[in-house]
Amino acid sequence: MSSSDHKIRPNLPYINSQETQLPAESQKPHLLGLRSQLGPSPFRSLQDHICILPLGRASILRGVDIQCGSCGLRPPRLYACVSCAAVECGEHVRSHAEETSHHVAVDVDRAELFCCECGDQVYDGDFDAAVVSAAIGDRPVPPPENLKKRKRVDYKPWTPDLKEQALIAENTTPLPTSQLGSDPGSYPQGLRGLSNLGNTCFMNSVLQALLHTPPLRNYFVSDLHNKFYCERENKTIVTRKSELNKADSKNVQLCLACDFDAILSAAFLGDRMPYSPAKFLYSWWQHASDLASYQQQDAHEFFISILDGIHEKLQKDRYKPPSQGSGDCCIAHRVFSGILRSDVMCTSCGFTSTTYDPCIDISLDLEPNQVDSAKTSAKTSAKTSSKTSAKSSNSVKKDANSMNSAQNTSISTLVGCLDRFTRPERLGSDQKFFCQKCQVNQESLKQMSIKKLPMVSCFHIKRFEHSPIRKMSRKIDRYLQFPFSIDMAPYLSSSILKSRYGNRMFPFDEDEQDASSEISSQFELFAVITHSGNLDAGHYVTYLRLSNQWYKCDDAWITRVNDDIVRTAQGYMMFYVQKMLYYGESETAVAG
Amino acid sequence: MSLPKVDDIHTNSELISEVFNQLLDSIIVDVASECHRITKLGLDRNLDEEEEELRLFAEARARSSDPSHSGESNSKYVVDMFGQTHPPIASEIFNCMNCGRSIMAGRFAPHLEKCMGKGRKARQKSTRAAQNQNSKGSTVSNRLSNGGSANAGHEYSNGTYEEA
Repeated sequence: MSSSDHKIRPNLPYINSQETQLPAESQKPHLLGLRSQLGPSPFRSLQDHICILPLGRASILRGVDIQCGSCGLRPPRLYACVSCAAVECGEHVRSHAEETSHHVAVDVDRAELFCCECGDQVYDGDFDAAVVSAAIGDRPVPPPENLKKRKRVDYKPWTPDLKEQALIAENTTPLPTSQLGSDPGSYPQGLRGLSNLGNTCFMNSVLQALLHTPPLRNYFVSDLHNKFYCERENKTIVTRKSELNKADSKNVQLCLACDFDAILSAAFLGDRMPYSPAKFLYSWWQHASDLASYQQQDAHEFFISILDGIHEKLQKDRYKPPSQGSGDCCIAHRVFSGILRSDVMCTSCGFTSTTYDPCIDISLDLEPNQVDSAKTSAKTSAKTSSKTSAKSSNSVKKDANSMNSAQNTSISTLVGCLDRFTRPERLGSDQKFFCQKCQVNQESLKQMSIKKLPMVSCFHIKRFEHSPIRKMSRKIDRYLQFPFSIDMAPYLSSSILKSRYGNRMFPFDEDEQDASSEISSQFELFAVITHSGNLDAGHYVTYLRLSNQWYKCDDAWITRVNDDIVRTAQGYMMFYVQKMLYYGESETAVAG
Repeated sequence: MSLPKVDDIHTNSELISEVFNQLLDSIIVDVASECHRITKLGLDRNLDEEEEELRLFAEARARSSDPSHSGESNSKYVVDMFGQTHPPIASEIFNCMNCGRSIMAGRFAPHLEKCMGKGRKARQKSTRAAQNQNSKGSTVSNRLSNGGSANAGHEYSNGTYEEA
């Protein structure tokens, strides 16, 4: 408990003060009375009696023949008095409290404090801390070493000084106001159609989303990738997939970032006639030669491919390879890269194997069968409950919630997909995992969570179902409801871990208590790529949200649309950006 | 609920029933206990927001099923928000960066595919061309070898020799 002491002390006044978020604080005089009796570290002795069951549930250690002192009832409905360790069942614990004035007992099965006088479950920071200590002692969960947190610095607004103003005046020309339309000021900047070059709507849709991805757009608009510097540096670098160039000098500079910059400049310079991203297509086909053909491609595949292309090119310019997932390698990763955490838990002993993997987006499965989805989710959660000794009632609750809200309309939701994504999944008996503690293959539970959220979250819905039996793929056209704002907090590793260990008041992960993580888990939708049609002949369209107005980008045609159209569109890729961005301390000192 | 003492249970079915009740009770209290904690500590997700989003979606859906609503109309033949119209196939003309020819935008991708030698059709064409050449060569050599001359090809020809 000594290691967590420094965490407990600052929080003690918070928990015990009247201004806390616990509404029952003023109503638990009995718990407070007990605390004053027991002095500092009130539940220290209990800590030795807390055991953590394999899948995270806390329980009180007890003998096999434990029973109620009054009626002989056996667990699980037993309570142990905190003051004198007398064991009583639910019926008789109150009479014990009356006789002895020992008001607080602990539920033997669930390790929860119960106030007999109030007849209610009560919560105490020190008790929870004891539970957490009991758990952490067995299984410390270290975050990846290379994920050092940069200290947060306050935002300071900047205005150019006189010298800078002169510099700006000399070297720049203001953009002309838009030539077309009756109210040129009302057209958002950067909005420009992209011509279809022949089945290239997949490319146009992704480009539109990227052009208006705030951090990415800002990077290029701020000229942080300058093509003159880029060309100069790369005169001698031979590109990786330069099958065609050989001695051809015109193809020497293959830089998708430069080509993207060209499109962005074209979009933001004010001309509203559709732009043909021909050079980009050409460069991309050189980069991804296996995807180069005149047929409809998958937009998601294209998205991954060009981010990879930008990364490859920009990473070459650095001396040392940066750590995975930190996003320091290139702008593409800094914007889109997050870290996923995967836990595989042995159902026998609870040993957990944790791995961290960087990810650029999250691909989500739709429910397997819409009609029976409510039934199947209830079935699986009931099975989990009965099979595992640690009743994973949290998943039951989550399913109940999504069932309640979706059952009335029986629609798939993005939130439902994310719930499914982070749900503990029982691996089949044919996929037994070798437990290092038990030294045998054991049945296991796997659970995914998000360790680090990217600046921009891209959700990809797997709408293309491949049937190995029929050897063909088909598209799932089912509606998916997606929110315009989403809170990603429940899917963070810190939240998942917390719920796994019974939602105790103390973090299992040092990142959790950071107040900024609460705010930066709020995301806003800004782009939706939709697909209509089927696998062979379909059409991609992007909806963009600029200044809270939605625009439809259908190749060369940009039109204003209202919210309804977007809400009812068939989402294939959804782009969410963090509502609030924080500045991390710069690694390099800036002069002046 | 009063708990009967063990002695009071006489029949098997009562015993089974009692066991079931206790299990059910235990599961219910489990869930209740967890929910109680989540709510008291303020950890529950903001379900109000989620329900609001679902409500907005339901309303949007109801409105879009109304036939008077334009919905996702084919915008290929409409005027865009800037007041411009465009042909279904993009008509802008520019030079191909691979071969230098003037190409119409809407036909650029198929052109580029052949131009770069990528794609199925382009590859098939080139293999067909190679096959034709090979077959020509073999007939020549057949003829020559049938003619009995040891020199395969270059000097004396019977007039049918062709450039390989």
